[in-house]
Amino acid sequence: MIAAISEFANRFLGRGEAAITVPSFDGALKPNQALEQAEILLACEAPEDLATDGTSLFLADGVRLLRLSGGTATIVRSFERPISALASLPGGALAVALGGTEVRLYDNATAETPAATFSQGLRAVNALAPAPDGTLIATDGSSLRGVDDWARDLMELGKTGRVLRLDPKSGAVTQLASGLGYAFGTIASNGNVLVSESWRHRVVSIAPDGSRKDVLRHLPVYPSRLSPANGGGFWLTAFTARTQLVEFVLREPAYRRRMIAEIDPEFWVAPRLRSGHSFKEPLQGAHIKTMGVMKPWAPPRSYGLVIRLGADGLPRYSLHSRADGVNHGIVAAIEYGDDLVMIAKGPGRVIRLPLASLGGEGLA
Amino acid sequence: MNDLVLSLSKATKLYAGVPAIDGVDFDLRRGEIHALVGENGAGKSTLTKVMAGVVTLTSGGMTVDGVDVTPKTPLEARNLGIAMVFQENSLVPTMTVAQNLFLGQEKFYNRLRGIYIAAQQFLQSLNFDVTPTATVGGLGAAKKQMVEIARAVLHKAKVIIFDEPTATLTPEEKKYFFDLVKDLKRRGVSIIFISHALEEALLLADRITVLRDGKHVVTDDAARFDRARIVQAMVGRDLSNTLYGARKATVRPSGKRVLTVQNLKMAPMVKNNSLSVFAGQITGVFGLVGAGRTETFKIVAGVMKRDFFHGGEVILDDKPVRYRVPAPAVQAGIAYVTEDRKVEGFFETASIARNIYLGLLAKFPRGRAWLSRRESTSTGKSWIERLKVRAIGDEAKVVELSGGNQQKVVIAKSLIQDPELIIFDEPTRGVDVGAIVEIHELINSLADKGKAVVVISSYLPEIMALSDRILVCRQGKVVEEFSALEATEEAIMYAAIH
Repeated sequence: MIAAISEFANRFLGRGEAAITVPSFDGALKPNQALEQAEILLACEAPEDLATDGTSLFLADGVRLLRLSGGTATIVRSFERPISALASLPGGALAVALGGTEVRLYDNATAETPAATFSQGLRAVNALAPAPDGTLIATDGSSLRGVDDWARDLMELGKTGRVLRLDPKSGAVTQLASGLGYAFGTIASNGNVLVSESWRHRVVSIAPDGSRKDVLRHLPVYPSRLSPANGGGFWLTAFTARTQLVEFVLREPAYRRRMIAEIDPEFWVAPRLRSGHSFKEPLQGAHIKTMGVMKPWAPPRSYGLVIRLGADGLPRYSLHSRADGVNHGIVAAIEYGDDLVMIAKGPGRVIRLPLASLGGEGLA
Repeated sequence: MNDLVLSLSKATKLYAGVPAIDGVDFDLRRGEIHALVGENGAGKSTLTKVMAGVVTLTSGGMTVDGVDVTPKTPLEARNLGIAMVFQENSLVPTMTVAQNLFLGQEKFYNRLRGIYIAAQQFLQSLNFDVTPTATVGGLGAAKKQMVEIARAVLHKAKVIIFDEPTATLTPEEKKYFFDLVKDLKRRGVSIIFISHALEEALLLADRITVLRDGKHVVTDDAARFDRARIVQAMVGRDLSNTLYGARKATVRPSGKRVLTVQNLKMAPMVKNNSLSVFAGQITGVFGLVGAGRTETFKIVAGVMKRDFFHGGEVILDDKPVRYRVPAPAVQAGIAYVTEDRKVEGFFETASIARNIYLGLLAKFPRGRAWLSRRESTSTGKSWIERLKVRAIGDEAKVVELSGGNQQKVVIAKSLIQDPELIIFDEPTRGVDVGAIVEIHELINSLADKGKAVVVISSYLPEIMALSDRILVCRQGKVVEEFSALEATEEAIMYAAIH
């Protein structure tokens, strides 16, 4: 009873769960223009994920699997459906998720037939990572919506994400965790599994016994894929930033129902991987006062961010593409040689920054 | 007739031996608008208070219309034709506009109707749209200011001093205020106004004087100034010559996020403010008067309350918190070391040990059923030794201590609570030089031990010497963040002014 009264009071006063607030980009997340200074390696139609076996860099671009060498890309093979996730495994094997509903394991990138296939119950597999025991860890973003329908899953406050362990030897699929607010990105770490939970803006560590512990909470972004970093730690990508407008809409079920029913998804009040391309896009009204003059300003629906996490899971520094930038919608970042290679899905680019130029301080 | 209406030569005012203004030469021409700019603590307010008779000079002289004067009270200054409009206006809120105008000038027999008619005629002559029968408490900031100005003109002031006149005004009210000031100038009144808004100074003033650390830096025609020149004059001190030494060579890496403030609001001081504080680091918070720094952290510590509706969130260790009083904040590990130690920091007639012990008692959720004199003495003694509080004995009263030692008692009172987040608000204000060094060492040692430390300071060299990261507040919110390695005085000041 008291909880119900408290909930009602909170909704009326804009407190507690009803507080429409967003954490700030500060400390290690202080904005810079590093992603805008990145070299464009390749412009392509539908880049989705990256993987490397140490010698080759693979790119998932729609239905095509490409091998990147410098600025040139060669087609390795094509699939019947778009690739939704990619992972290189020890020994040269390659794992691909197709359309989010099927995971295939190949002994090498050019092998004709898959060594193992998993498809039962998969709906939106969006990230794959090798585990030390030879199994494969996959995040299934939603059990209800497909990989391309992620915005709908957010608008429906989806909590059906799962983390799965796929065993190529036995063909078994084990559920490590469920009820996640869009699981998107995973990596094995010290016997546990780190998972990005996009809709809850956090990274959680899942122990083998299923217990969970928050590693990072209250992120100002929607976190996505994870990859290992040299010297310990991880790279965490974020496909866009949170805004108060979207946070507000997420608390208004009637509004969302009508929006989903009546508005073209392109123009929903929802995060996007790119923005500013149509006057029909929703804007959040805002202003900023500089030099004594009030200037109108609207936070963008899209953003680009890569966070370097230390081995302890704490952010060390970050790379940004801000409101006035282009390289938004970063969905993958991977170390390859002396570079950090990233996918900016918004503009459809593969970009590269020398690792030696990164390090926190002095990022422009 | 001499063109100078007021001048000060070698004006010096000492507070406990420390100069607030030091050998300042200043002159004001008849019918000019003269802007006084400088950082917090630059001596602007002291200089104008000397002119207005609020404080008297320790040495130096002042002339009005070429005659040596020494106004000892505001009344004497008013009789000389000098009036001051304070930021917190000096009107009586329960009286009407007319009563306020004629306050102190009442005749033996007062007829209210007569006062209202006279006030109406006078306000109309100034083209002020204020109802003389209205109660002052119900007026807006701009109209209150009009009444203050009208009172100054009524008293035949030839010099009117404004202290941050536009701080509480809306843009429309500001425009009206500027017109008023220009109208006063046309009437031959000389205006001095203190402002942190450089654009206003550049726009309105005929001449600008810049003060720094109590000393006169430059006076020149406003047309010869631009924003960059003013900022340079405001901050252009050589850091290596300050007590705090040169800039930091290394900074501490950030630990876990201890405090997150999200879209915090407390009208009119805190406006949608967001920031984070990390463990193992000193987060410096800089801003000019009215920037909302102190208020933000007072809300965090439960000393002040945020807006009732949509006041934003404070998240401590990943858990949303809302403290209505300081006690639960103390129990949650937040210590706020106040900027106003004499009022909020200690019980001045209680002993040092007792004050420190009271800090410990605040840590317990429901207090204690009994108080131990022995525990009070022993804990007090150990903290007196740790912080090197110099006193005759443990039982010495706090009021008997120097400013620096009083501040150490306030700090000890907070540190005895073993907090995880310590907020120092102006930690070295009114503190002697030796104690400043010791307090800084203490603050650094807390960060080295992994505590999250916030230092709010109006003094740039202190911010730059202590902080690992620097947040700059302006108009109620954080507008810029610098690493201590990249920060410069000019860059910080640019961000802080508007």
